[in-house]
Formats: sequence, structure tokens, C-alpha cells
Amino acid sequence: MLIFIAKRLLWMVPSLFAVSFLAFVLIQLPPGDYVTTYIATLAASNEVIDQNTAAQLRERFGLDEPMLVQYFKWIWGILSRGDFGISFEWQQPVSGLIWERMALTLVLALSTLIATWAIALPIGVFSAVRKYSIGDYFFTAFTFLGLAIPSFLLALVLMYIAAVEFGQDVGGLFSSEFETAPWSIAKVLDLLSHIWLPVIILAVSSTASLIRVMRANMLDELPKPYVTTARAKGLSEFRLLVKYPLRIALNPFISTIAWLLPNLISGSVVVAIVLNLPTAAPLLLQALMAQDMYLAGAFVLLICALTLIGSLISDILLALVDPRIRLE
Amino acid sequence: MRDELLSRGVTRRAVLGGMAGVAALSIAGRVVAAGGEAPAWAQLARDGKLPPLAERLPKKPMIVTPFEKAGTYGGTLRRGLRGSSDHNGILRMVGNQSLVRWNLEFTQVVPNLAERWEINDDASQFTFYLIEGVRWSDGHAFTADDIVFAIEDCVKNSELYSSTPAQLSVAGKAVKVEKIDDFTVKFTFAAANALYLENLATPLGQHPTLFPKHYCSQFLPKYNPNIAEEVKKAGVGSWTDLFRARCGDIEIPSRWGNPDKPTLDPWVVKEPYSGGATRVVMTRNPYFWQVDTQGNQLPYIDEINFSISQDVESLMLNVISGKIDIQERHISVLSNKPTLSQNMEKGGYRLLSLVPSASQQCQIYFNMTHKDPALRKMFADKSFRQALSLAINRQELIDIVYFGQSESYQAGPRPEHPWYHERLARQFCEYDPDRAGAMLDEAGYKMNGSGLRLRPDGQKVFFTVDVIPTLYPDLVDALELVKAHWAQIGIEMKVNTIERALYYTRGDDNAHDAAVWPGPGGLDPMLDPRDFFAFHPQGSRYAIPWSLWYTSNGARGEEPPESQKKRMKLFDDARSTADLSRRGAIMTQIFDIAADEFETVGLCLAVGGFGIIRNNLHNVPEKQPDSWSWPNPGPALPQQFSFTS
Repeated sequence: MLIFIAKRLLWMVPSLFAVSFLAFVLIQLPPGDYVTTYIATLAASNEVIDQNTAAQLRERFGLDEPMLVQYFKWIWGILSRGDFGISFEWQQPVSGLIWERMALTLVLALSTLIATWAIALPIGVFSAVRKYSIGDYFFTAFTFLGLAIPSFLLALVLMYIAAVEFGQDVGGLFSSEFETAPWSIAKVLDLLSHIWLPVIILAVSSTASLIRVMRANMLDELPKPYVTTARAKGLSEFRLLVKYPLRIALNPFISTIAWLLPNLISGSVVVAIVLNLPTAAPLLLQALMAQDMYLAGAFVLLICALTLIGSLISDILLALVDPRIRLE
Repeated sequence: MRDELLSRGVTRRAVLGGMAGVAALSIAGRVVAAGGEAPAWAQLARDGKLPPLAERLPKKPMIVTPFEKAGTYGGTLRRGLRGSSDHNGILRMVGNQSLVRWNLEFTQVVPNLAERWEINDDASQFTFYLIEGVRWSDGHAFTADDIVFAIEDCVKNSELYSSTPAQLSVAGKAVKVEKIDDFTVKFTFAAANALYLENLATPLGQHPTLFPKHYCSQFLPKYNPNIAEEVKKAGVGSWTDLFRARCGDIEIPSRWGNPDKPTLDPWVVKEPYSGGATRVVMTRNPYFWQVDTQGNQLPYIDEINFSISQDVESLMLNVISGKIDIQERHISVLSNKPTLSQNMEKGGYRLLSLVPSASQQCQIYFNMTHKDPALRKMFADKSFRQALSLAINRQELIDIVYFGQSESYQAGPRPEHPWYHERLARQFCEYDPDRAGAMLDEAGYKMNGSGLRLRPDGQKVFFTVDVIPTLYPDLVDALELVKAHWAQIGIEMKVNTIERALYYTRGDDNAHDAAVWPGPGGLDPMLDPRDFFAFHPQGSRYAIPWSLWYTSNGARGEEPPESQKKRMKLFDDARSTADLSRRGAIMTQIFDIAADEFETVGLCLAVGGFGIIRNNLHNVPEKQPDSWSWPNPGPALPQQFSFTS
């Protein structure tokens, strides 16, 4: 097991290089660069920038160099001194911009994961065990609704009701008095009192699909002989369910941990924008639009790194949980 | 007063006439009895933590007459920004402290930090007399040295500004700024620059008052030999990066990212605008140098809280639930008006109307300098452009896209402007597809059997029009209608919806067939005449190579035809003419030629936007110009806005 983990960790190094290079190329692919966007913004307010100035700006930002040179300078800065470069737009080191946002993104992602599982697991098991019961039909209908409603629309509707009907403060993850306060117990409680709304919105659609997956897997397992044997041996129905079929049916849940983070960041962009969440998604989107490439690159790199770590974790968990999986 | 505002065509001319005067009236002249100050400051002053009010204010502070009545201290004003690059949303509200400023009507330049000025006969030398005793927000004195430093050491530093900003250079030479005494500075231009005062009143004229010498000099190698260490400590690439991060510039986010930088604004940064920010908080400047008519120090309002919404819909939600006190930016599109009107009572606000300074809602620029010779010939054909203009059913377009709130228009100053030019504005606006067809036949673009027009070389007449849907969604709708109108006379057009950077790249490469953009120059025809001749290398999209030729003094681009060169010469003359009526006469010649040449096709007069003001917020003019040059609501002086409970 330890050898497996060490091997996997070693493999991550070339994967990260490949991924970071691809990310860098992709960010550079659209026409123009940060200077073009910058000039566009200035021109929209009637300022004239001549091409001489533009060339000098490009030189200042190192945009006139070949892409490979730019990439190696960037990656060398990260490796040698943990320097992710400067955000063109903010004139601020990238590392100062990303950590808090990434931390909040992780908090949101984990809370959504827990909420999704907490809802999907029991309902999935219930509708499998009580197949074609009224409860099953009810939850089935409910989950289809959940799948069908776009999460940004749900967010807008909930915000409208909360703001207009109840006069609640919506949007964001903190009350205004805690927004810039240092971390404290009170701030964590404040975060908890705000985070439930985005968590519900984000959990709704993934819950729906997970319930279906859980139900199908359980239905596969329930008629199997080992279940009949266990039942014949007098095991209580609850223990029986939890001990054997559930463990196996959990497989798809665990193996998708790795995708969860990138999914949450990319899938939550619109929700995060609508709800004004201080997570990575809106900043990443803006960085991509402004072609602020070091900022965008750092986000993409971190998300990729987290995906790789996530897939390692899910492999380890699978080996622990599913008796059918062995590393040999 | 409120109702008369901006509806005074005749007086406007009179006021404009008075604008070219040698010295303007001094508001700072009148001495008022020492007045009040915000209770919090009064307490601090009593505790000895802040100098008393009399020492913080200039001897003769500038007196601002409140719009309705003297206000009361207190309150937090809530306003929204959108996303992360909305720094100008702060500039418009807070950063309006230039040497001079616009009056409320956008007709006259009035004193601000300079209490008066003198201009020499050929308008090449400007001497400004500063209000004595103004202090930066950290208590340091503001003097002529700051202005000399800002221009000579910062703006003219070629490492910091690769070329001197356009406003501060004439005939390719940068302005020279000298200190006469502590409160007098002289600006000398290489040639006449009659428009300098007007330019100085726009946001881009803020350079002279942007950089406090005692603070910003520490980021210049000339004043700080140890700058290299500081650069390293800050983790940035060079001293110029450090300077920009700490001292900012007129139009970059980092201007609002450093709470330590002293300013002359009514409010100073408390919670900065940085990459991770979800809001920006500005707090009262204890040294602000303006008072109301009773001698009370401004601003009345304690704090401004800019919440950052990533999405316009959530900003709208905040507005209708009463969580925003004044807002027009981002929400002022016509389609939001019904929602905002319906929720006035619930949100406790009233509407504010904006007078557009732009001329044209949607100007179509055919690329007359196209790389493809056949298309170049077609777009350069005046009768082709005239025919296409006649084939547009403008009334239908106005009714459908602009809810009937506009009128057919081509280009030029707005009807309420004294330089309004009837022919330039109204020619070829009528809907006459038959005449359009006949004109095209005559010009050699004959219809084939399947109802499509062919060019003389036998190719189908086809071109694309570039538009940015995320920036101007209404222009996409307008173009779709125009496309249908042109199809009726056999012209095939594709609405090319593209991303913003691509739009500009295509323009820079001269790779577009045609493009649309709102046409400026309605109330400020001198500040942006891009639709009257090839003036703007990014904006005059019908002939970008010609405008490059003009801005580079013939070094780059492509030599324009005679009629363009004549207008360029005339505009240079107008720019150096201090006398307003003579300037108007020169501009009229430009309009005459532009009307003859008919280079751009316009659809309809720019439509006014609107905004909201909460009912408990007072002293806000309910009708304001809407312009970047008059950066609303800044010139309405937010420092005298006031809340009643």
C-alpha cells in the first residue's frame, strides 16, 4: 500500500507539469493578450493608447517573449521561490489573491459533498429497499425536478424570495461586519449561517443523480445470494444493509471524489457569481476574461493539483471500503 | 432649479460663451464663520488625537452650495460595483478632485483645487492659483511642489509612462510645469492647447493632483536610493510595479488598493479594492477642504460602502429590496426600467434620469480602408453607404429595441447642443427602400434572379458587422433588424457577435468588414470627434489606418484622402482656438465636410439612462449628464449628499 502511494505521488510530478503547460497554452490561445484587453477597457472610456505604448506595456509584462520562455519563467518562479507571478490586473502578487479564495472554495466543496451524501445515501437506500412504494415515487419525482432546475435559476429564485419577501441579507458568505474581520469562532459561526444556502443550491442537482446511482446499485446488490445468506443467518435488516450491499454500492460515490472539486469549481461559477460568493470561481472567470494569465494559470494549476490529490484519496478509500478491490 | 437643469438650450449657449474667459469666478473668496464638523471628529479633536477643525481646513475653504439644503452628518452610503474591474465605479463617486471641475450642467469649467487661473493669449500657458492651506488626507500640506512632482517626476518619467498621456502633450512635446510660489504653478505647452481646461475637468485630467510628493517620492529611484530593497520586499518585479501598486494611476484598480496613500478626495480607502475583495469601504477624510454655506466641513456622509456584485441581477435585487442608496451604473438599461418602476415603493427609492452625452445609440462603421480591394471599393462608395442608410426602417427599430424612446439620427452634436448640425444629424434617415434599390442599381450593384445583389466583379454582396454582445446586447437586437431590412434590398449581412478582445484585435489588424459602437460627441463634440473624421485609432472604425496616420503625425498608418486631411487640420485649429464662437465656426466647417462625405451610418439618437436614489438621500440632482467626461455622479458633488433618518 505504501509503495502504491509513493508511486502515485511520483507520477503526480510529470502530470502536474503536463497539466500546467496545457493550462498555460489554453489561457494564451484566445486572440489578443492582457494588453489588448487593457487597451479595450481604456478605449471604452475614450482614452487613446498608441501602438508604441502598447508595445512597451507588452515588454513590461513580458508578453513580447515567446510563450515557452514565459512558461518556464513562470514555472521556475513557482518551483524556486513559490512565486506565482504578478496579477496584471491587480498589480498584486498572485499568491496573495488565491489562498483565501481557494480555502473558502474547499470549505464550500466539502460542505456540499457532506450535504449531498447525507441526503442522497439514505434516500437512495430507501427507494431501493422500498422499490415502487409511494415514498420511492415521491423521491423519484422530486429528484427529477432537482435535476431539471438549473442551479443559477434556483439561486435567483431563492434570493428573490429571501430578499424581497423576508428582507434577508442574501449573497456572500459573511455578514458585513465579519467580511474583513480576522478568523474567530464568531466568524466561523457567521460563515455557517450563510453557507447553507449555496450548499443547498449546489447539492440539489448532484443529489438527484446520486440518488439514482445509489438506488440502481443497491437494486443490483439486494437480490444477490450473499444477502439472502446473511438474512437466513438472522442478521437484522438494518445491519445487513449497512454491512454488505451498502459498502459495495458506495463505490461510485468514492470514486468520484476526485472529480468533485473541479466539478464544483467549474459547475459553481454561475451560482457563485449570482450569489456573490468569495470563492475561486468568479475570480478565475474574471482572470480568464481579462487574460490575466498568471492569476488564471495559478488557479488552474491548483485545481489540477487538488484533482490529482483527490483521485489518490479516492483510490485509497476504495481499497479500504470495497472488498473486491485489491492493489496487487 | 432642478427642472430647469439641462433643459436650457438658449442659456447653454450663453454659458458656453462665458466659458472661454481668462479667469473664472472664485468660489473660495468668501470667508465663512467657522462651522461644524462630524461629531466623531469633534470628539477626536477634543481628545487631542486630531488637530482642531480650523487647523485642518484651508484659511478660505472652498464653499459648496448644497443642492437642496444644508445636510446633517452621518450615515453610510451603499452603492454597488460589478465584478473585479469596476475601479471606475469608485472613481466616478469619489475621485473627482482635479484642479478644476465641471459645473452641474456640463457646460462650464469651475474652480476646484485651483481657485482661479490665467491663460495667455495663444492658450499655451496656464497659470493656476491653488487654494492655500489644503491638506492631503494624512494632514500633510498640498502645494505647488506636489503638482510639479506629479508631472515632472512621475508622468514625464519615461520608465513609468512610456509616453506622456495625450492630454499633457501637444505637438509631440510634453507640458512643462514650473512652481512660481508655493501656491502657484505654471503649465507651458509647446503650442496652443485651448481645450486644456475642459480636459483637465475630465477624469483623465487628474494627474496633477494624483501623486502626493511626500508619499509617492519614496517609490521613485530619484528620491529613494534604497528602492531596490523595497521592490524585493514587496515581491514585485520592478520599481514601476511598486509605484503603480502603491500610488496607482487614474484608471487602474490599485488606485483604490492602498489605504496608506494620501488623497484629496472626500472619502479615503478603509477597506481596499483588491483581487479578493467582496466590498470596498471608504471613510470620511478628516482633512477634506470643502465646507457648505454654513461653514460645516464636508462630506456629510460618514462612509461609503461599495458592495461588489458579480452579477447585474443580484445588484438589481439589492436595489429593489432597498439595500442600495444611489445607483445608475450597470442597472441603467431600458429593459430594467419597468422592474425598477414597479418596486419603487417596496425599495423606498425614486428614479434619477440621465441625459446621455453620447450622440448615437448605434453607429455602423463600414471599413473604408478594407484590405480586400473589392470590399474597400464598395464601402468607399458614398452612394452605397447612402443607399444602405435609406434601407433601414429606423422607426420600427426604435419602437422594438428602444421602446420608442429615441429618434432617427446620423451623427453630430445632440439637438440641445449649440453646435447641432441639422444635415449631419438627419440626412438619409428616411425609410425609402425603392430609392435605395435604384441607387444601388446605378452604382453597379445589380440584383440577380434570386434577389441578391452582385458586385461589379460578379461576387455576391456580403459582409459581416462586428458587435460585442456582452457589452451592448441592444446593438445585437438592432443589427438583427437592420439585417432583415438590408435583405429586402438584396444585401446580405452577417451579425458577427464576438468577444471583446477579439473585436479590438480585429480593429487593430484592420481585419473587420464593418463594426458597430455607440457614437460619442453628443454633448462633448470636441472631446471625442471620432465620427466626424478619422480621429481615434481604436474608435474611428471606418478608417483606422487614417487615424493612425493622424495620431502618429504621418509616421504610421495610411495617408488619408484630402477631405480627411482638411478636417484634421481644421480640428487642430479648433483645438488651439480659445475663442468659443470662432471654435464653433471651425467645427461647423468640419461638420459640413463630414455631412458631405457621409462616412458613418447612424441609427438613432442615444437614449437616456436612469438610476435610483433612496428616498432618504438628499441633495442629489435628479437629472444628471451621463458621460465619462462628466463622470456622473461625481460632478454632482457626492460630498454634499446627505441622509435624513
